[in-house]
Amino acid sequence: MVRLLARLLALLGLAIGASAAARAEATSADHLALELVAEHTALVAGAPNWLGLRLAHEPEWHTYWINAGDTGLATKLEWTLPAGWQAGAIDWPAPQRLQIGDLYNFGYSGEIVLPVAVEVPAAAAGSTASLRVLANWLVCKEECIPGKAELSLSLPVVAGGSATGDAAAAGLLRRALAQRPQRLDAANAHYRMDGDSVVVEISGAGLPAAAGLDVFARQPQVLANAPARIEAADGGLRIVAPRSEYFTAAPAQLDLALVRRDGDSVTAWQVTAKPQSAAAATPAAAGTGLTATGVAGGSDIGTWFALLLALLGGAALNLMPCVFPVLSLKALNLVESLHSPAAARRDGLAYLAGTVAGFVALAAALLALRGAGQNLGWGFQMQSPVLVAALAYLMVALGLNLSGAFVLGARLGGVGQSLTEGSGARAAFFTGLLACIVATPCTAPFMGPAVGYALTQPPALALAIFAALGLGLALPIVALSFLPLLARFLPRPGAWMNTFKQLMAWPLYLTAVWLVWVLMRQAGADGTALVLLGLVVLIGALLLHGSFQLRAPSWPRRLATALLLLLALSPLAVLQPQAESTSAQGKLWTAWSAQGLDALRREGKPVLVNMTAAWCITCLANERVALSSEAFARQLQRDGIAYLKGDWTSQDAAITTYLAGFGRNSVPLYVLYPRGGGAPEVLPQLLTPHLVADALARAAAGSSAPPVQRSSP
Amino acid sequence: MKLIPTLFAAAVLSVSTFPVLAKVAIGEAAPAFSVSDSNGKPRSLAEFKGKTVVLEWTNAECPFVKKHYGSGNMQAQQKEATAAGVVWLSINSGAPGKQGAVSGADADSIVKAGNAGPTAYLLDPEGTVGKTYGAKTTPHMYVIDGQGVLRYMGGIDSIQSDDTADIPKATQYVKQALAELASGKPVSVPVSQPYGCSVKYGS
Repeated sequence: MVRLLARLLALLGLAIGASAAARAEATSADHLALELVAEHTALVAGAPNWLGLRLAHEPEWHTYWINAGDTGLATKLEWTLPAGWQAGAIDWPAPQRLQIGDLYNFGYSGEIVLPVAVEVPAAAAGSTASLRVLANWLVCKEECIPGKAELSLSLPVVAGGSATGDAAAAGLLRRALAQRPQRLDAANAHYRMDGDSVVVEISGAGLPAAAGLDVFARQPQVLANAPARIEAADGGLRIVAPRSEYFTAAPAQLDLALVRRDGDSVTAWQVTAKPQSAAAATPAAAGTGLTATGVAGGSDIGTWFALLLALLGGAALNLMPCVFPVLSLKALNLVESLHSPAAARRDGLAYLAGTVAGFVALAAALLALRGAGQNLGWGFQMQSPVLVAALAYLMVALGLNLSGAFVLGARLGGVGQSLTEGSGARAAFFTGLLACIVATPCTAPFMGPAVGYALTQPPALALAIFAALGLGLALPIVALSFLPLLARFLPRPGAWMNTFKQLMAWPLYLTAVWLVWVLMRQAGADGTALVLLGLVVLIGALLLHGSFQLRAPSWPRRLATALLLLLALSPLAVLQPQAESTSAQGKLWTAWSAQGLDALRREGKPVLVNMTAAWCITCLANERVALSSEAFARQLQRDGIAYLKGDWTSQDAAITTYLAGFGRNSVPLYVLYPRGGGAPEVLPQLLTPHLVADALARAAAGSSAPPVQRSSP
Repeated sequence: MKLIPTLFAAAVLSVSTFPVLAKVAIGEAAPAFSVSDSNGKPRSLAEFKGKTVVLEWTNAECPFVKKHYGSGNMQAQQKEATAAGVVWLSINSGAPGKQGAVSGADADSIVKAGNAGPTAYLLDPEGTVGKTYGAKTTPHMYVIDGQGVLRYMGGIDSIQSDDTADIPKATQYVKQALAELASGKPVSVPVSQPYGCSVKYGS
């Protein structure tokens, strides 16, 4: 009765005061009074203006934050605004922790304003605006009462730059604004699952002290709602909370509000934590402790284990096709240093230094770029068409050199060793460097988890892991160079070595073909044609250089060669990445998108996700061997398995984020989601038809990773 | 011989550090319980071995419970389930004196007036069953299969609101889980966020 009367009175007030400067309609509901308020007595056109929902709770009653906690429901607003006006979402002030028995809720008691920024178009100046909002709330003490009301506010709109006075609720609204968690830009935060706990680690400058801090997660179903343990750790903060019983999947970001209450004063900070590793992204995966390669490893695979994986992965890289062309150079190098075991050993170690330096330099560049906010992943250099083209040039030039078109550094006499050809420690070092650059498009078994882990670690440790990768890559060659056995199996040095050298040019030419093919997908037909033109000029320049080498050096000849080389390189300056329009029509797969995947998961369909890149040889080999056969297509169709493919050939932040969700930073990544929403299974990085068929059958049957926890009913 | 004191110490330790609201987990055995129904008859989970069992935490005065009873959604699901041989147990863990706490006779009249169709209405005034299962909200739903394994826990449906207009748009998780279990499939959504009023436990 009272409520009705209040509404009638308010309506009457509105009717009478429609032309008044600022007139709000306050509503009183059960245990709660509500009002639409503004910061100023007029709205400023062409600018955002702060408005808000004022909530005055009766003592002991409360309404809820965006994550309500164990029970309750967040307050919702639906705006009705003049055309062209925009209302933002509620900019939530820091919540209070409200305890009822063993249950925890997050919300507000007393008097609070939920602020909303409203964008007023410039054209509205001079008018009187009528703003309306439909508020929907749940107010609870121990029992709960849902409520709904339409609130309105009439305000004059003044031109931009005009002075406006404070409205009655200005103080309250500004207090609420000051209570919003302020973003800690310098903070770096990660979270991981540790058994039944969630551990968040925050580092960086300007962090609040741990004492007296409370933490609230915006996303429900990750942290349990009881108070978490917050402690100082390693110069930062560590938060340990029990995992929510209703946890299903680790979100790509976990937004945390850190709140300090000191009497009436409230200070709050916001950090966004990224999943550190998703090996334990789902309870089932955590239970089986399975990662991609089938090795035991939870959310944190451990430093020594990561180093070992990196070492093994590096060694396995020698079996991947990427490194073949470089191995041919290295084979040549070995053959040439056969006569002297001491030289062979020295070259072996120089090669090792080259691979380690190469990996560490690439990793340092990657870490620096990521630190600068770029969402990049391993193999990032292959995502640059300029670098791919430059590599193609390098392959052709090295090939021509081996074919005998010119001699590197012939004129520099005893000082100059060739960079990558011929004997000598420097040549071996640069061969190592080159091996590392061309090896990155291949990810070997064991390598994915190690690289993914490395990028979540402090820089020094990350670099150590990459150094281990380099060490692993060089290991077989170093071992060979230390074994004098090899010399016994090879004929004495002679004319055959020249033939061998010329043969070794061909793997390099073929590598150039592959690089040009990658380039086609990155830079399109036009860009590729330019680069091919450049290659023709390059060949001309090097042939000319070769013929000049037979004659006396002269400035005009050198200048001519230099100009031609410059012309050959000029296409690199104009290369632009081009968005590729891959047509999925008539293909087995559809293009991956996070939304598409979500939709399929909601339907409970089994889904195979393939993250690939044109420059990733391992990916292409897997597709050829295991993901394109007739039998594979039949199995997809028969079992209704959706097949999504994400292309990481060029930079793609969404894919980088998805990879990070599985603790990876490299392609390929194969994820199989079983029918009915169970935990996803990550397939190994080297696929066989048999392995894929088995995994698809498991997914179609609705069970996840092999040691199935749940017994099917 | 040292084993026994060690085990005992471990047991004491694990009990004392155990959270007050226990945890149950999907794919694991649902904890046994035994409480009286509205007619004073003791009922236990063991009694329904071999049958699928739905547990529904309820409080007739909670707006979220009213949402699903006022619209007839809950009763329709109860009747459909029990007709298919599923056991449906409505449980009230409200402590005496708290909102929605009922006597056996009250419970029967609520069931009758609401035209509801649970197999039984269980009274848990001590909150023992509720705390064992970690029931937090009304409604809060659990589905246990014939082998006694927990297959679903969470909300009644996918849209967290008190508005009956949302019911047709929402995925009814219990209904979906029961259908999937009946056809031998795994439950596609085994866990969801429960929503509603708090269960009105005593201290």
